[in-house]
Amino acid sequence: MAEVKLEQVGKSFGATRALDSVTMTVPDGSFVVLLGPTGAGKTTTLRLIAGLDLPDAGRISIAAQDVAGLSPAQRDVAMVFQQYSLYPHLSVRQNLEFPLKSPILRTPPAEIARKVGEVAEILQITHKLDNKATALSGGEMQRVSIGRALVRNPAVYLMDEPLSSLDAKLRADLRVELKSIQANSGATLLYVTHDQIEAMTMATHVGVLDQGRLVQFGTPRDLYENPVSVYAASRLGQPRINILPAALFGGAPDRAAQIGLRPEQIRQGEGENSLVERVERLGDQTRLHLNLRDHPIVTVTNAHTDLRPGDIVKIRPQNPFYFDATGARIP
Amino acid sequence: MTFTPIDKAARATPPAMARRIRGLSDRTIAWIFVAPSIFLLLAVNIFPLIWTIRLSFTNFRVNRPNNDVEWVGLRNYQRILTDEGTWATMQATAHFLIWTIVLQVLIGFALAFLINKKFRGNDLWTTIIVFPMMLSPAVVGNFWTFLYQPQIGLFNYVVAFFTGADPASFSMIGDVMLAPWAIVIADTWMWTPFVMLICLAGLRSIPNSIYEAAECDRASKWRQFWTITIPMVLPFLMLAVLFRGIENFKMFDLVVQLTGGGPGNTTTLTSIDLKREAFEKWRTGYSSAYAVILFVTVFGLASIYVKALNKVKER
Ligand SMILES: Nc1ncnc2c1ncn2[C@@H]1O[C@H](COP(=O)(O)OP(=O)(O)OP(=O)(O)O)[C@@H](O)[C@H]1O
Ligand SMILES: [Mg+2]
Repeated sequence: MAEVKLEQVGKSFGATRALDSVTMTVPDGSFVVLLGPTGAGKTTTLRLIAGLDLPDAGRISIAAQDVAGLSPAQRDVAMVFQQYSLYPHLSVRQNLEFPLKSPILRTPPAEIARKVGEVAEILQITHKLDNKATALSGGEMQRVSIGRALVRNPAVYLMDEPLSSLDAKLRADLRVELKSIQANSGATLLYVTHDQIEAMTMATHVGVLDQGRLVQFGTPRDLYENPVSVYAASRLGQPRINILPAALFGGAPDRAAQIGLRPEQIRQGEGENSLVERVERLGDQTRLHLNLRDHPIVTVTNAHTDLRPGDIVKIRPQNPFYFDATGARIP
Repeated sequence: MTFTPIDKAARATPPAMARRIRGLSDRTIAWIFVAPSIFLLLAVNIFPLIWTIRLSFTNFRVNRPNNDVEWVGLRNYQRILTDEGTWATMQATAHFLIWTIVLQVLIGFALAFLINKKFRGNDLWTTIIVFPMMLSPAVVGNFWTFLYQPQIGLFNYVVAFFTGADPASFSMIGDVMLAPWAIVIADTWMWTPFVMLICLAGLRSIPNSIYEAAECDRASKWRQFWTITIPMVLPFLMLAVLFRGIENFKMFDLVVQLTGGGPGNTTTLTSIDLKREAFEKWRTGYSSAYAVILFVTVFGLASIYVKALNKVKER
């Protein structure tokens, strides 16, 4: 239960600039998702907040207190590591008990047992409690790793791709569980993911990182409807936004080099002729792969469409995004 | 067409032989490959062992091959186990074993723990520390006799410097109370680096991310040491104890060079005693029984220990 503030934070590993002057305020009780491709600096951000690495520049504060010089224990953060980092010589139960057995906390044994049982239940690993931590599947290890964070009640949760190795159903279950745990406890949570659905459904705020820079920070809706750049626009949306030369359609502003079209920004039935190349029926929606003068476009149409490959569909932009030559959005 | 070495070998084999080889089953071929090793093992290990057990029931003396050999039953065993000299030897061995292991494990682990911290030049320090281990035990024994010299020995001088005693007032090798410690100190000096290397391997096998997780889980350095470092290094430590235990049970050269088993019999370890019985007094039957007793003891202890070690590793 604390606000996390990063001001001009920078971190280099040798010649690699992992983070470059990142400024971000994570409001108390918010669920912040960090997005960005591999190597963007997401893990580095979490490690700096946790205090596992120290920033080269800038200030980090938790609950209005500058944490420079504080150890991870003093910062009271719980971290779910990308590579799990379970205690290999301990059982699953002992792994989950470990944070509670801290002498600082003095948790009574009955309370520890109750808490561990409860968390194991949520994560569906009750039947594995007496396994050794190394005798687990990847997804089970990942859940133990989440559990080790959840048994505590820290000021800030830091989760690094916590659901990445789970199957679709479990992932959907845990998405709901994590969100409700966070909402009920009022804890602040920073969450790294590559999964758009997680970002859209769980986040109160999304931060987009690009090569160590925070390029946009806002609500998921804000990010979706008002991306600041081609890069930010490409983070969210399924199917991905179509980026095309601005001259393909008429009416682009002078400086515009590219036009960005999400499916709902493509109006079908009027405008330019495009060729249907492929029809993907996903059940609840159907995706059209179109070809407009040798430019591929992916859009969505109603689930029971009669369109078939070889047909012609007319399309026209509707409130599109325009970007200049550097990829920045033109308002 | 290209020829691999195998094709060439196949072509070079005379047809009659090739036919015979083709008729062999995989099992037969496996036996053919293993047979030389099995033969060697039988010849140099198993046969001498059985022969020793046989001799241990006789009064055979290898320096008098023409004497009649008598079966004496269990008399050799009885004499050994009731002989006070043997028990004194066993005690000296136990003292040597226990103290070398305790000291080497404690100091070796402490050194490994320090060297494992990231500081400049720790590789250089490792090389320096490991140096004694590379020397010949006879050489080490020899120069420790100089270090222990009451008048000019560096060891006595250093002890005197710290305690204020007269360096000439005590002799590590000449004193019945001190001699057992003299061999413990020399062996510890020589072999602690070995234990350190094994501990270092153990410490390096613990990934840093586990300490990071513990750090986030608010475990103090003290708790991390006892709940992570020690349990994860324990299999390595136990292995070091096993190696040192077996090595020091056989200890011979260093101690012979240093004290020659004296003064009196205070540093006569079982291996030294056994060598005297067998090759100075030439009591072959008696010493065979002695060897069998030692073999059973070591084998028994080692198997119990290895079981425990495996249990620790499985945890
Ligand atoms: N310990 C380190 N030593 C050297 N370089 C590092 C180290 N940790 C991270 N980096 C570099 O810093 C950059 C950011 O790494 P980071 O782990 O934060 O990426 P990430 O966004 O978490 O990526 P992923 O999605 O693959 O986990 C990368 O270029 C990486 O190579
Ligand atoms: Mg990462």
